Amino acid sequence: MSDSKTPSKKVIPIAVSTAPIELPPGADAEMVSLYQAHKKIYPRSVTGLFSRWRWILVFVTQIFFYGLPWLEWGQRQAVLFDLGARRFYIFGLVLYPQDFIYLTGILVISAYSLFLFTAVAGRLWCGYACPQTVYTEMFLWLEKLAEGDRSMRIRRDAAPWTIEKFARKAAKQFMWITLALWTGFTFVGYFTPIHLLATEFITWDLGSWEIFWTFFYAFATWGNAGFMREQVCKYMCPYARFQSAMFDKDTLIVTYDTERGEPRGARSKKADLSTLNLGACVDCSLCVQVCPTGIDIRNGLQYECIGCGACADVCDTVMDKLGYARGLVKYTTEHALEQKWTSAQTLRHVLRPRVLIYTAILGVVVSAMAISLALRIPFKVDVVRDRGSLARIAEGGKIENVFRIQVMNATEATQHFHISVEGLPELKVASETDVVIESTQSRWIAVNLQLPYDGAPAGSHTIHFKIDAPDIGKSVTEKAVFIVPR
Amino acid sequence: MKQKIMWIVWPSFLMAGVMELLVFALVDPQDMHWFGHAFEISRQAVYTLGFFVFWFVIALSSAMTLFLSLPSNEVNQSPL
Repeated sequence: MSDSKTPSKKVIPIAVSTAPIELPPGADAEMVSLYQAHKKIYPRSVTGLFSRWRWILVFVTQIFFYGLPWLEWGQRQAVLFDLGARRFYIFGLVLYPQDFIYLTGILVISAYSLFLFTAVAGRLWCGYACPQTVYTEMFLWLEKLAEGDRSMRIRRDAAPWTIEKFARKAAKQFMWITLALWTGFTFVGYFTPIHLLATEFITWDLGSWEIFWTFFYAFATWGNAGFMREQVCKYMCPYARFQSAMFDKDTLIVTYDTERGEPRGARSKKADLSTLNLGACVDCSLCVQVCPTGIDIRNGLQYECIGCGACADVCDTVMDKLGYARGLVKYTTEHALEQKWTSAQTLRHVLRPRVLIYTAILGVVVSAMAISLALRIPFKVDVVRDRGSLARIAEGGKIENVFRIQVMNATEATQHFHISVEGLPELKVASETDVVIESTQSRWIAVNLQLPYDGAPAGSHTIHFKIDAPDIGKSVTEKAVFIVPR
Repeated sequence: MKQKIMWIVWPSFLMAGVMELLVFALVDPQDMHWFGHAFEISRQAVYTLGFFVFWFVIALSSAMTLFLSLPSNEVNQSPL
């Protein structure tokens, strides 16, 4: 039946070459390879409005990060996450792992803040406050101290090794590693009392986990801020890829004013612009040289752009030199560029439904968290039925159920607790009813409940434990079940 | 290759952090048992080891995703 002349597979007449792909002349590897060959970026340093803001934020965030563990609160470190004891101290608050909900709250607040900032002015987080940006900025500054600015670094890297080159590189590494180690030390200082850690460091008497995490965090800082830099933003950061979901045509982003800038070209300083048929862009390429991610802002909005405004800063200095108006590259919105709004008009469009909705949700979550923290009862209770026996007959023919109650004191004072039970008329606590628990400690207490014979019909009865803390005037009620056997 | 390694290592690092928070917020290492025996090591040690175990396992998942997402011609031409 089958026709042997008809091949079962369709043959598509395309010659498949197994020869290595040759690059067309003039094309760089980026155009051909799907995985672009990474070119080292040498960002040129820049000064200006946005750069000043970035440095202000570097200082603010880092004084906060490096300083906070050294702050004392009463007899202890103000902010300490004591993982060993599973207690989290934040100023006056003592949190237990059971207070996980607050961590969730903080994460939700962070996420909505990020959405809000992004909707208003793009990647403000990335450009000014992200640790990746902040540490890269600090590492670049140290690099500039040791090796000079962009052109000197490029030249030196291309040149053969000399003693001077080695000395400068070594100086840079020394500063980088010192800063990285200090950062790792500070990080561990959030989990181990930092004064103790400092003494241990001086006497080199550190625990193995402390050593490990100090060096691990230091290594990550050194690698990310010294070498990975923009690659973290380009290839590793998920936020960079979904940020456009929060953008709209009224979002302030760093934009090149194509209409004003094009056609770009070099010109003499004295030349009359009106006779040249040239735009305001002098094609000096400084905006590309300062870019920490190595893109050309004149190609439009790209996901690599972290919104740092370095190009806007440097372009303004060029415009000043030429006597042109500033703002060829500036923070503006798509609508503003299209409809030639003034900056006041642009700012008026900040308050739009998207922004208002994000703000409203953020407001609700922040107030819910504040209220919940204010009303928080500073002790916790867990009730567990003793697994050994459901019910037994105690002396005098009483029916006894045994429970274990964990009382956690989340205050920094010794507390008295009183245990009572409700739910059945003659039910009594037959074990100790008053316990004292030291500050921030917790204890399991065995509680025997006794009911006279015939005190209740056979079956399970819902009861409530009431734990009073008279010193702070609060109480907690926990549900449990009392079993009367047949 | 470097990028592929980043795609495997980095998201799993983030998610290992999430797992660490979720798991150890609920579980106290001192309450855990290892084949019937209580752990004899400190909480910090369990946290640290736990983090790397999470990281490793999640990295395997990332690696598998990357591996399975290879187009057929790449699989066919693979030297392996």
